[in-house]
Amino acid sequence: MFGKVRLSLFAALLASIFGTAYAADAPKEIKLGTLYASSGRFASISMPVHYGLKLWIEQKNAEGGVFVKAFNKKIPITLVAYDDQSNTATAATLFNQLITQDKVDLLVSDSGSVLTSVGVPIARDNKMFLFDQTGTGAAFFTPDNPYIALMSDPVSSVWPKPLADFITHDGNGLGIKRVAMLYSTNDFTGTQANAVRKFIKESGTDVEFVYDQGIPTDTTNYAVLINNIRATNPDAVIHLGYAPNDIAFIHSLEDGGVNFKFLFCIYPGLETELLEKNLGVKPLNYIFTYVTSSEIEYEPNFGMKLKEYKELWNKKYAGGNVEFGFNSVAGYNTGLVIEKALSVAESLEQLEIRKAVFSLSGKLKTLDGTFELDPNGAQLGMSTPIGQINVDDHDHVKFVTVWPHEVANGKPVYPRP
Amino acid sequence: MLTYTLLAGLLFGLYFTLIGLGLNLVFGVMRIVNLAHGDFLMLGAFLAFWLFSLFAINPIPTIPIAFLVFLLLGFPLYYLLVPRLLRAKDPEMLSFILFFGLSQVIQALATILWGTSERSIPGGQLGRAIAAILSFVTGRTIENGPIEILGQSFPAAWVASGIASGIGVLLVYWYLYRTKLGYLTRAVMVSRDEAVASGIDVDRISAIAFGFGLGLAAVAGVFAPFLLGSITPAMGAEVTITSFAVIVIGSLGNPLGTLLGGLVYGISYMFMQSYYSSWANLLPYLLLIAVLLLRPNGLLGRQARRA
Amino acid sequence: MRDVLLILVPLVAAFALLPFVYSNHLLLFNFIIFIVLAQGVNVIYGFTGYLPFGYVGFFGAGAYGFSLMVLHLQAPPLLAIVVGAAAALALALVLTPLFRLSGAYFSIANLAASLAVLQVVANPNLENYTRGPYGISLSGIFNPPLAYATAVAILAMTLFAVIFLRNSKFGLALQAIREDAISASMAGINVVRERVIAWLLSALIAGLAGSVFAWYASVFYPETVFSGEFTIFAIVFALFGGTATLVGPILGVIILYGIYNAVGISTPQYFQLIYGALIIGLVLFLPNGLVSLLRRWGIDVP
Repeated sequence: MFGKVRLSLFAALLASIFGTAYAADAPKEIKLGTLYASSGRFASISMPVHYGLKLWIEQKNAEGGVFVKAFNKKIPITLVAYDDQSNTATAATLFNQLITQDKVDLLVSDSGSVLTSVGVPIARDNKMFLFDQTGTGAAFFTPDNPYIALMSDPVSSVWPKPLADFITHDGNGLGIKRVAMLYSTNDFTGTQANAVRKFIKESGTDVEFVYDQGIPTDTTNYAVLINNIRATNPDAVIHLGYAPNDIAFIHSLEDGGVNFKFLFCIYPGLETELLEKNLGVKPLNYIFTYVTSSEIEYEPNFGMKLKEYKELWNKKYAGGNVEFGFNSVAGYNTGLVIEKALSVAESLEQLEIRKAVFSLSGKLKTLDGTFELDPNGAQLGMSTPIGQINVDDHDHVKFVTVWPHEVANGKPVYPRP
Repeated sequence: MLTYTLLAGLLFGLYFTLIGLGLNLVFGVMRIVNLAHGDFLMLGAFLAFWLFSLFAINPIPTIPIAFLVFLLLGFPLYYLLVPRLLRAKDPEMLSFILFFGLSQVIQALATILWGTSERSIPGGQLGRAIAAILSFVTGRTIENGPIEILGQSFPAAWVASGIASGIGVLLVYWYLYRTKLGYLTRAVMVSRDEAVASGIDVDRISAIAFGFGLGLAAVAGVFAPFLLGSITPAMGAEVTITSFAVIVIGSLGNPLGTLLGGLVYGISYMFMQSYYSSWANLLPYLLLIAVLLLRPNGLLGRQARRA
Repeated sequence: MRDVLLILVPLVAAFALLPFVYSNHLLLFNFIIFIVLAQGVNVIYGFTGYLPFGYVGFFGAGAYGFSLMVLHLQAPPLLAIVVGAAAALALALVLTPLFRLSGAYFSIANLAASLAVLQVVANPNLENYTRGPYGISLSGIFNPPLAYATAVAILAMTLFAVIFLRNSKFGLALQAIREDAISASMAGINVVRERVIAWLLSALIAGLAGSVFAWYASVFYPETVFSGEFTIFAIVFALFGGTATLVGPILGVIILYGIYNAVGISTPQYFQLIYGALIIGLVLFLPNGLVSLLRRWGIDVP
C-alpha cells in the first residue's frame, strides 16, 4: 500500500516538474470521487442523488467515456465512492481519503448541507474544486473561497423567494394576511425560514406573522403545536422541515382532522413518491409546495429530458428502495454540469475546471432548470416555482404551478376545501 | 389551549408508559440495561408496516400478533445472551455494551433488508378499526375520524395507544401481583441471589420477563407510525433514551411507577412544547437528572440507588 | 519508566513521523483522537468502575469552549485549547453530584447530561452565542499541521497520565476503591476525593481532544462534536483492548478503528453487522479484553 502511495507521490512530483507537458498525455481514466450515506439521518436524501450521479456515469461510460476538451478525446470515468453513513466525522476523513489517497480529478460532495459542510474547508485547503450537489448552506459561499459551486438547487437564502412573493402578491389578493410559520431549526430549513421572514417583512404589504416558531429537527410530535397554530387563526401556514418532519406534520393534521386554509410544505414537492408511500395521496391534496424539476418538463439544451430520464431510472432501479424524486434529478444534473464543464475546460487544473463551470452560468439548461451562479458559487438558478397539489380521480398527484406567472398553468385553490 | 395541552400530554404520556413498561420489567428483574429496547420497538413497527402493506392487515389485530411473536423471540435470545452475561464480574455495566452490540446488529439487518427511507401507515387505517370497535361496543354508529374528549378532538390512534397502554399496565400489574410466576418474579427482583438460594428457577422467571419486555416493546412499535409520524431502521436509539427517562422518573419494577413516569414526562413535554417549543427536547434529560439526584428512588420507589 | 520508553515514546514518535509517509493526515489524526478518548474512558472506567456513557459531553464542551473563544475573543488556538479543556473541567465539576448514583444510574444520568448540553448548545435561542444549530466555522485559524502536532502532544500527555495512574499510590488507591469501596475507606483512602480527581482528569483529557478536534475540523455542527458515536467507539475500543491497562485501549483503537477504516468504507452495511456481532462476542467471551487473552498466553503487557 505504501508502495502505491510513494508511486503516486512520485507521479505528482513529476507532474509539478514537467508541468503541462506531462499533463498533455491523456489519462486512461477520469477519477470522480464522491461520498454517499447508505444509512443514518441523511440516507433518504443522499441515496437518490448518488444513484442519479451513478446513472450518468454508467451512461457516459457506455458511450466510451466523457469528452474532455483538454485532451480532445473521450475518456472513461472511474467512480470512487465511499459511504459516510451520515456521519460528518467519517465524511471528513473520506473527503481527505479521496483527495490525498485516491487523488481524484473531480471532487463531488455528498447530498445536503450537513454532510457537505465538512467538505468545504477540506476542499479549499487542498485546492480541490468541490462540486456541491445539494448543500445549500449560505455560509459555504464566500468571496475568499474559489473552490466550490452549488449544482442542483438554489442557495437556502434565495430558495424561498417564490414562496414569499406568492404570499405577498397573489396570496394577499386572495385574503392571506395572517401567516403562521413552523420550522425545524437546522441549517437548511432554518435559513429558509429566515429568508421567508425577511422577504415577507420587506414586502411592505399588510401580511403579518401571527405564529413563528422554531423547533428541534428531531421533533416527531406535532399535535400540540398544530393546536397552538390553529388557535392563532392563520390564513396561511408554512411548515419548513425535512421529509420526516413533513410526514409527521401532515400525518398529525390528517389524524387530528385539522384543515388549514393554506398549507405549504417542502417535501411533497421534493420527494413526492416518498410522501405518497407514507401518507397516501388524499392528505397531500391542495398542499402548496415547491414544484421541482422532477415534476416540470423544462426544455433542456443539454442532456436527457425528464421523461426519458425517469424511464431510464425506473428501468434501472425498479423495485429498489430508493424513490424517484427531486434528488434523483439533482444527482444526474451534477453529472451534466461536469460533462459540459469538461467539454470546455482547457485542462484538468482545478481552477480551470472552476472557470469552465462558471462559464456555463446562465447558458446551461438541463432537465433541472437553468444553471446560474453568483460570483461566490452559490446557485441562483434551478429555482423552484410554487405549485399546488391536485389529486385527480385516479388518485394521481398532479402539480398545478401557480407562481411565478410566467410558468403558471393554473389558479390556486384557496381556501383548501 | 390549556385543556388541550394537558389532555395531549396525558395521552402522549400513556404512550410513553407503554414504551417504558417492557424496559422497566427487564431492568427490574435482570438488572441489565437493554440498550436495544428501542430497536425491538422498531422491529414491532416494521412488523405492523409489512403486515399492513403486504396483506392489508389492520394494525389493531397486529397488536396480539406482535406481542406473541416477540414474547417467543425473547426466550432463545435470553438463553443466548443473558445467563452468560450475568456470570461476568460487572454484568450491569457490561450489559450496556452487549446490548449496544445487539442494537447495532438489529439496525444493520433492518437497513439491509428494508432500506433507509421513512415508512408509515396512513392514519385513517387505525381510525377505521377503532371506529368499528367503538360502534360495536357502544351500539351506535361512530364515524371514522378524530375522537372527542372534553370538547377537544384527538387522533384516534392516540386514544387507541392510551387504551393499549392502560391494558399493558394492568396486565403487568396483574402478572406481578396476582399470579404465582409474578410472585416469584418479584422475589428475583428483590434479590437474585436469595431467589437462587431458595430454589427458584431464576433463569426461567427471567426469560419470561425478558420475553414480556420485548413483547411490550413490539406492541408500542405497532403504534409508532401513528404517534411518531414515521419509522426508520435507525429510530431505536432515541426511543431507548426517552424510555430510560420514563422508567427512571417512575421507579423500578413497579408498573405504576412507569405509568407515573410516563404521565409526568408526557404532560411536561407537551407544556414545554406549547410554551417554550424550542426547549422541549431538553426536558427529558433535565427531568431524568433532577429526579435521580433529588429523589434517587424514583417518584414511587423504595429501592436504593445510591453508591 | 519502562512503559514510557517502550510504549509512549515509540507510539508518539510513530504518529509524529507517519504524516511524512502517509498523506491522509485526517485519518492519522482520528486515530490519535480515539486513542486519547479511549484512554480517557480508561481513566474513569478502568480505574473507578464508573462507565461514562455521556463521555462525549466533555469532548463537545472542549470543542465549543475552544470555538467560542476563537469566534468571540479571537483568541489564538493554543490559548483557546486551554479554555476548551477548562470548559470540560467545569462541566465535570457540575456533574460531580452524579457520583452519588450507583452503576447503571450513573451511566444513564451521564448520558442524559451530555444530551442536555447538546440541546442547550444547539438551541436556536442562543444563536448569537453558540451559533445554535447552524454550526461553527473557524476558517480563520485553519492550520492542520499545527493542530496535528498539538494532537500528538496531547496524546503524549494522556499516555503519561495513564502510566502515572498505573504506577502511583493514587492509582493503586483508585483500584482499591473499585474493588471494594468500603474497605478502601476503612484503610484511610478518601474515596470521594480520589474518584473526583479521576473524573476530572478523564474530563480534561476529553476536553483537550475536543478542542484540538474543533481546530482540525474547523467546520462542524453541534451534532458532530456531541455525537454519541464518540462515546461508544471510545468505550468499545477501551474494553476490546482491556481496561485498567496502558496497552489495551491502544490495541483496541488500532485494531478496531483500523478494521473500521479498511472494511467499513467499502462494505458499510455489513460492517455495522459485523461490528455489533463482534461486540456481543467480546462481552460474552472476553469481558476483560484482548490484554487478558495475551496474559493468559503468558505475555506480560502493561
